[in-house]
Amino acid sequence: MSSHELPHAIIGAKKEREARISLTKAILLDIFFVFYSIIVLQRAVYYKLILDLREMPFAWSEIGFIFIASVILGALWASSRTSLSAKLFGVARESKVTDLTTELFGWFLFNITFISGWIITKISIVDIFSPDGIDGAQRIFGSLFTPEFNIFDDALFAIIETIYIALIATLISIPPTLVLSFLTARNLMKDSKTAFASYYVLRVFLNFVRSIEPLIWAIIFSVWVGIGPYAGMIALLVHTIASNAKLYSEAIEGIEEGPIEAIAATGANKLQIIWYAVVPQIVLPFLSFTIYRWDINVRMATIIGLVGGGGIGTMLMQYQGLALWKEVGLIVIMIAVVVWIMDYISAKIRESIK
Amino acid sequence: MILNIENLHKIYDNGTHALQGIDLSVNEGEFLVIIGLSGSGKSTLLRCINHLVEPTSGKIEFLGKDITHVRGQELREVKKQIGMVFQQFNLIKRRSVLTNVLTGKLGYLPTWNTLIEKFSPEIIAEAMQNLETVGITEKAHIRADNLSGGQQQRVAIARSLMQKPKLLLADEPVASLDPATSNSVMQYFEKVNKEFGTTVICNLHFLSLVRRYATRVVALKAGSIIYEGLPSDIDDNWFRTIYGEEAEEVEIR
Repeated sequence: MSSHELPHAIIGAKKEREARISLTKAILLDIFFVFYSIIVLQRAVYYKLILDLREMPFAWSEIGFIFIASVILGALWASSRTSLSAKLFGVARESKVTDLTTELFGWFLFNITFISGWIITKISIVDIFSPDGIDGAQRIFGSLFTPEFNIFDDALFAIIETIYIALIATLISIPPTLVLSFLTARNLMKDSKTAFASYYVLRVFLNFVRSIEPLIWAIIFSVWVGIGPYAGMIALLVHTIASNAKLYSEAIEGIEEGPIEAIAATGANKLQIIWYAVVPQIVLPFLSFTIYRWDINVRMATIIGLVGGGGIGTMLMQYQGLALWKEVGLIVIMIAVVVWIMDYISAKIRESIK
Repeated sequence: MILNIENLHKIYDNGTHALQGIDLSVNEGEFLVIIGLSGSGKSTLLRCINHLVEPTSGKIEFLGKDITHVRGQELREVKKQIGMVFQQFNLIKRRSVLTNVLTGKLGYLPTWNTLIEKFSPEIIAEAMQNLETVGITEKAHIRADNLSGGQQQRVAIARSLMQKPKLLLADEPVASLDPATSNSVMQYFEKVNKEFGTTVICNLHFLSLVRRYATRVVALKAGSIIYEGLPSDIDDNWFRTIYGEEAEEVEIR
């Protein structure tokens, strides 16, 4: 191969590979669409809506059969290049058939999804207007609006505990979040294969941690370190690190490339580029995210208290368990006031540092 | 010869074939101007020289050394000797003018000292000296984003002078400035070229500036060199070949 042909060969190979990848994706997505349609039609529409069965019949062999059928159907459909997925990935043939199938199938998917959602949610007009239900609701609402002030001092201490849990979790989260955010910013980690691999592994790991709600982390840590504020704080800390690392790293990915290029062009090394071209651009967004996170953490700390994370939430849970609705009313009002104040303060601070 | 480029190709990941076999030699002390339409590959060519963009194939020699595939510390050594000035100035907006100029020296200084922003008096004096060269010493302690476009570009020139560059690349340095400011900024490039003997390679759009400052002109079209010669030799015929049949020269004074 002469050096003159080389570039054109590279372009051709690239285009071919892209087309192959797109078609593969289209086939996989079509298989999923077909499988999803059959399952939803059979389970939600036929069993639930038409036969109104209480117990769903279930057999792996049946699911397996449906799956194999959808693999064949989906693969054929996508290969014909007239399917919805082929259109989505831009490998569809231009024809009337394509337009018609994508439109019809798109509507079909939307409708069966909405219908099955309606069935699964058990939406019922009768329940919300039943006299018994309305009575109970009135009783609780009434108590909430006539709060009992006997427990005010206890509740005040508990809510201060909650604010501190949130504050400490937010403060401790800052250093690890900083380090992680640089390691998970695509524009800083794309240079070498090892850097990109560690970027990828860290991203997946953080996504996993973030996808577990603080409530569940609190349950885990209340077993680990015992019920109380410490467990609640660690739960918040873990989730704060994972969420803010993503926000921070997105801020890093969104910075101007120009100064980075300019500093890199002077022969500066990686650390110098980060310190001079990246850091000045991200200080303010980072501060803003962190203050906002404190605000969020105060709200979350309340919820975490419900499962034993200490603070006002734990107190709320105790009085709710005893059905002391007037005390619950006081606690709810105090939470609302504190959340409102925190929200206001954090908004003001964030405005002033812009 | 300070720079020698042979059969250089660049293909971006999206398949754009930006450079299609560039052959170019640059002699020491030249003021080479590259012209061509937007998208003709001018920027890519400059960026390949100092590896802000990795060339796909071909060969780049700088000061007699093959730098096509250098990496890491070796690449930084090359970058230290090549200054670059950008269309959007690319200063660090939130930092002072002086700090911005000092960043030009980063490659020469120990990492730790620069991270705690400890610069010796000699280096600060050198920075002030370079600010004097571009005529804005009095702005040294002002935040960079408080300066006008022309002043920011002069700071960028001072920053590149900190590198004591053998070669100065300028990527459309006056494209976002008004005509009067453009000319004054170009005069600083001329000054650097004549007084320090720094070789300059500059992308420009306006032929009036080209005729005034260039010692040699190269025209790019669709990633290939279609003209090479003296600025005075660009006649109407060549002009239409470079910029298309519809084009008409606009005089900028």
